[in-house]
Amino acid sequence: MAHALPPPARQTGPLVWLRRHFFATWYDAVFTLVFAVLIFWVLDNVIGWAFVDAIWRVENREMCTHDAGACWAVIESRGRLILFGLYPYEEQWRSTIACLVVIVTIILSCLPVFWSLRRLPVLWIGGFAAFVLLMRGGFAGLEVVTSEQWGGLSLTIFIFAAVFVIGMPLAVLFALARRSSMPVIAKSFGLIIDIVRSLPLLTLLFAAAVVVPLLVPEAIQGNKLMRVVVAFAIFFAAYQAEILRAGLQSTPQGQEEAAIALGMPYWSVVADVLLPQAFRNTLPSTINQAVITFKETSIVTIIGFFEVMASGNAAIGNGEWGNQYIEVYVFLALIYFVFVFGLSRYGAWLETRMRLGHG
Amino acid sequence: MKRQITNLIAAGTLALSGAVAAQAQDQGVLDTIIERDSLLCTGHNGSYLGFAEVDAQGAWQGFDIEFCKALATAILGSPDKVQIIPVSWAQRFPAIQSGDIDVIIKVTGWTMTRDTELGLQYSRPYFIGPFYVMSKTELGATGIADLEGGVFCVNAGTTIERVLTDYMETKGIAYEPLAFEKGEELRAAFYAGRCDAIAGFGPFLSATRINAENPDDYEILGDVLALEPEGIVVRQGEDDFLDVINWMVSALLMAEEAGVTQANVDEMKANPPSASVERLLGVTPGVGERLGLSDDWAYNVIKTVGNYGEIYDRTVGDGSRYKLPRGLNNLWNNGGLLYPLVMD
Repeated sequence: MAHALPPPARQTGPLVWLRRHFFATWYDAVFTLVFAVLIFWVLDNVIGWAFVDAIWRVENREMCTHDAGACWAVIESRGRLILFGLYPYEEQWRSTIACLVVIVTIILSCLPVFWSLRRLPVLWIGGFAAFVLLMRGGFAGLEVVTSEQWGGLSLTIFIFAAVFVIGMPLAVLFALARRSSMPVIAKSFGLIIDIVRSLPLLTLLFAAAVVVPLLVPEAIQGNKLMRVVVAFAIFFAAYQAEILRAGLQSTPQGQEEAAIALGMPYWSVVADVLLPQAFRNTLPSTINQAVITFKETSIVTIIGFFEVMASGNAAIGNGEWGNQYIEVYVFLALIYFVFVFGLSRYGAWLETRMRLGHG
Repeated sequence: MKRQITNLIAAGTLALSGAVAAQAQDQGVLDTIIERDSLLCTGHNGSYLGFAEVDAQGAWQGFDIEFCKALATAILGSPDKVQIIPVSWAQRFPAIQSGDIDVIIKVTGWTMTRDTELGLQYSRPYFIGPFYVMSKTELGATGIADLEGGVFCVNAGTTIERVLTDYMETKGIAYEPLAFEKGEELRAAFYAGRCDAIAGFGPFLSATRINAENPDDYEILGDVLALEPEGIVVRQGEDDFLDVINWMVSALLMAEEAGVTQANVDEMKANPPSASVERLLGVTPGVGERLGLSDDWAYNVIKTVGNYGEIYDRTVGDGSRYKLPRGLNNLWNNGGLLYPLVMD
């Protein structure tokens, strides 16, 4: 009769865990120690600079010397400039609400409940209309604020959201057209995509902002912000179309053929069979593209828009706060981080969810 | 002070815009401004030390902004009728061609290419932009020649890099250049002692100096590397508008020369000390008409922003944080290069 051995003694507890993971061999131990010292040293410096030795209030402005820690007083003094740009001071509450409206719209449209052709457009049109009305004013006694004066975080978020919302349908159109069975359409859209991709974004935006008004009659010019958003959206669409095309091509040919054989109309084949799979397969690259686009919005400063990065530069561009650029850049980095990190986490959540839905 | 990359882009788009700049203007800019009841003037996409800055309330201020206000006051009677449009360096010329702005007042050097090929017209210089060298006081240098062999830090890709090279080559002074992409980096390197001297535009050096822990450790040397006469820019063919601008600059200088200030302008108007002050302040009837303005246009300007010296002092001079010496921007009788024209 076989003798069952008793189970090995359970080795648990923090010390065992520590030994197994960090001190299993002598070189593990060396690495652990070296990095522990390094991490401690970095953290100590960062925390010392950002918190312990930091100067928080404008009253203590004189204490902001070169030996002291972070001078967060600059954020107290110039924070509103960074967040709102040139938007009139007394009216900045409008910019705050408008910014929140767009953020809520973005969050809502991330929820699967809103993913229908009826709900999503309503949500977006409503969200954008509310944003523009609030920012622009001119009704119910609100002062008119032209788009030249829009700025700061709300402008950044508006540009991003508008580019994404206009660019995504365009991207779908480009991708489908490039795969079209009609050679004229396929070739010409291929050419459009390649031309747009071969131009630097800066040139495209510059042309939209300053060259278009010289060439196009005033009636159909639209305002500068609109032109820039459209140009940016076309740029986004050219890249996103290629990502989607990869997704479309990765769906087995048989599925499309089967759907057609079943007598499904073209749009149904696209909307119900191809696109959902294409989007799922390319989700990581799409999130990637969204993140890049969010960060690239700062490029509009070259055509005189006061988005959050330009306002940050304006905040440090005077004699009084000229030395506090590190603090302002850290503040800006945190703003970008919050949004980009949120976007990445959302992408990860979406991936899990889709995998679950797919069995 | 202008980045080469953005200049390249500007040049590209300008080649295009120059071709279509001939777009017919039905009416002059001056009439458009009066009809619109507001003047579209240049700001900056950020802040440009001393010249166009944004304060904590988001309001524009600075030397160039004061001139925008002065121009709006001369034409429309009120400094509130100016609208500051933020534009980048690269964008300013296309923007004036397309009518996004009426006038460029943005430390814009008067160069031949711009004047001839870009379809622009310059006013008489309203500011002489000097490039200086600042060094550490402990080196005891009295001129640039004393810094032979030293490390000179500059902003990469800007006019100053070329200006410094030219100067040093002409004078045969050996030096070691060290370029930095951003102004902040440049300053940090200078404070940290990596450079013996930095070369740059006057206001930038002043700001660097006053922001140092101990400003007395640094000294701006008297040698001028180069000058860039800065003019106010309008589209080619806007003669009436340019007249107004030239006489506005002149009026500000004339007021300083005659001792007319923001504080005493009412007194001077009631009791003009000379015939030229009489004409300046519009006591003599008909003087404004010649420019298409009201007779008291210059009075309004001085009442609103003060004379040239007062503007300078408040924004970049002793009354500001920058403490930039008047130097060449003084009146001719104080050793400077500026002078009013004759108002007869």
